[in-house]
Amino acid sequence: MTQTMPRDVAAYLAEFDDIPGTRVYTARRARQGYHLNQFAMSLMKEDNRARFLADQRAYLDEWQLSDEIKDAVIARDYNLLLDLGGNIYFLAKLFSTDKLSFQDAVSTMTGMTKDEYFAMMVGGGRSPHGNRSIKGGY
Amino acid sequence: MARITHGLSTSHIPAIGAMVDQGRTDEPYWQPIFEGYQWTKDYVAQEKPDVVILVYNDHASAFDMKFIPTFAIGCSDEFRPADEGWGPRPVPPVPGHPDLAWHIAQSCILDEFDITIINEMEVDHGLTVPMDVFFDSKDNKTPAQWPVKVVPVAVNVVTYPPPSGNRCWMLGEAIARAVESYPEDLNVHIWGTGGMSHQLQGPRAGLINKEWDQRFLDLMTSDPQKLRTIEHIEYLRETGSEGIEMVMWLIMRGALQGKVTELHRHYHVPCSNTALGHIVLKNEVAETVVA
Repeated sequence: MTQTMPRDVAAYLAEFDDIPGTRVYTARRARQGYHLNQFAMSLMKEDNRARFLADQRAYLDEWQLSDEIKDAVIARDYNLLLDLGGNIYFLAKLFSTDKLSFQDAVSTMTGMTKDEYFAMMVGGGRSPHGNRSIKGGY
Repeated sequence: MARITHGLSTSHIPAIGAMVDQGRTDEPYWQPIFEGYQWTKDYVAQEKPDVVILVYNDHASAFDMKFIPTFAIGCSDEFRPADEGWGPRPVPPVPGHPDLAWHIAQSCILDEFDITIINEMEVDHGLTVPMDVFFDSKDNKTPAQWPVKVVPVAVNVVTYPPPSGNRCWMLGEAIARAVESYPEDLNVHIWGTGGMSHQLQGPRAGLINKEWDQRFLDLMTSDPQKLRTIEHIEYLRETGSEGIEMVMWLIMRGALQGKVTELHRHYHVPCSNTALGHIVLKNEVAETVVA
């Protein structure tokens, strides 16, 4: 059978941290962020969204979450939430609850304003040049 | 017998569905995005597929972290739109084809491709946006009922590792064998959705790689075997963290076993955070066999 990728887990994962500005949703992150992501899933119900927005801290207290995670949710600090094991498709339930589009929510992670990010995308997006590898600098 | 006559691919960007729902498709930003699907709408309306095998990924809608099937097939009579945080999309339920779906599931498992069987599932933008761009009216209105039955094939591209491109290709081959052994005379399309280059997370968000995307589209017909060996790390580095969705296009491509001709292509940057890609491929041998 054709071998098209590393079959060894460590070899497979080794290069992921070399990608600039990116958190690949690995097993380690999936395990770390389990309850955060399941909390986010609960926002797929209108009743839960209303209850969450009415008292965010009380709603978050119902979940097995660290204070750091609860604070990051309330601050809508999406980069920190990614560091704490959040996945963007799960976190999408949180920014959709805020009636924020994918584009506007994503822009908050880039250090750009919403308008700057929009302009970058209309200009053809972020170039891959220099953004592929930290070690290689290409 | 049933035959796979065409393979279609398209990005499944959620904002496209939102613009359809809000009637904003004529706005200058969106007009060229929808324009690129007009050819395909005419073609699909004339071609009249009986069933679409729709390869997509669930974006944490039907599947949460409790279960993570790598490959899953929807065997229900219908699939209702999921509430992704804005309320369910106002689109009709998607009719299934349980008989063909169960046939594919059984055939794939006997073919040593163990696919998860789903009897109840809601579907998100990953499935409904492709339905819109191919089946909405020319003025981008969702029909009261979808004119086709759908067999959803859901692929995990969220939690790593997703399946390799080669494995996706092989699943496509197994699906093609399953369809060929289904006795009813059906015109079947297979659609691979998602992509192309995009990254929705972190400081590198917004990455777009037009050259890489165009090469991927070219290879669909010029040298498709090369696509099988693209490693995950290449998708991640070159096309952004969500560019990995393109492995799903390889299920579509692997299912086309004959002489494949490109009929139409649409590529546009940007669509929200994403490079929008769309291609229509005709599977020539399937047509000849039927004739």
